Amino acid sequence: MAATTETVRRVKVKPNYEMIAWKWMRYSAFALIPLVWIHAILQDVVVGVHAMDLGYVAERWASLFWRVFDALLLGFAFAHGVNGLRQVLNDFIHGEKGRKILNWSLFIFWLAIFLIGAIALIGGVNQQFPLE
Amino acid sequence: MSTLKTTLTGYAGYRGREGHWAFLLHRITGLGVVLFLTIHIVDIAFVYFQPALFLDALALYQTTLFGIGEIALIFCVFFHGVNGLRIAYFDMFKPGLWSIEMQRKTTRTTLIIAIILWLPAAVWMVRNILLHNYGIVLFGG
Repeated sequence: MAATTETVRRVKVKPNYEMIAWKWMRYSAFALIPLVWIHAILQDVVVGVHAMDLGYVAERWASLFWRVFDALLLGFAFAHGVNGLRQVLNDFIHGEKGRKILNWSLFIFWLAIFLIGAIALIGGVNQQFPLE
Repeated sequence: MSTLKTTLTGYAGYRGREGHWAFLLHRITGLGVVLFLTIHIVDIAFVYFQPALFLDALALYQTTLFGIGEIALIFCVFFHGVNGLRIAYFDMFKPGLWSIEMQRKTTRTTLIIAIILWLPAAVWMVRNILLHNYGIVLFGG
C-alpha cells in the first residue's frame, strides 16, 4: 500500500468572461428561486389563465411593486435562460469561429427580446380606460 | 455533423445513473422553460404593441392542450429550481461534496422535493381546466 499525500493549494485565477458567466448562473439561480416560483404559483395556479384579461394586466402593472418584480424577472430569468442555452449549444459547437458566431447570435437574440419586453413593461397596457 | 452525433450518443449512452439523469433533466427542463419564457415575453409585450393579439394568446393558453403544457412547465420550473439550488450550493459552498454517492443521494431528494412542490399545483391546475373548459366541478367550485 503506497501512502498518498494530498496537498491543497489555493490558486488565484484571473477571472475571464466564461468564469464570470459561470458564477452569475449561480448568483442568478438564488435570485430566481423566489422570483420565478412566486410568479409561477401566483399567475398559473392561484389566479390561473382563465381569470386573465387586459384589465388584469393593467391592474397588476398599476402597482410599482409588481412592475419592479417583473423587471427583475425579465432581467435575471431571460439572461440566465439564454446563457443556459449557450452552454447547451457549446456542447455541439466546438470551433472558435462557430462559438463566436453563436455568442453574437445569442447576444442579439437576447437583446431583441429583452428590449421588446422592457418597452412593454415601461409602456404598460396600450388601451384607453375603461378597458373592453 | 459528427459533433452532433458524438454529443447526442454521449448524452444517451453515458451510464452515470442519478448524476447523469439529473444533468439531462436539468437541460431538458431548462430548455423547456427558456422556450416558453421567450414566447411569454413576446405575448406579454402584445399588451403594449398589439392588445388584441394578447387576447388571442390568452385564448390559446386557456385551451386544454396548453393547459397540459402549463402543468408540465410548472414541473420544469420546480425541478430546474430545486436542482439548480443543489448545484449552486455544492459549487459555491461545499465543492468537496461533489462525489458520486452524494450525487446519487441528493438527486433523489431533489426529485422528491420537486414532485412534492409540483403535485398540489398540478392538481389545482387540472381542477381549473376541468372547471373552465368542461364545466366539471372537481372540488372548490
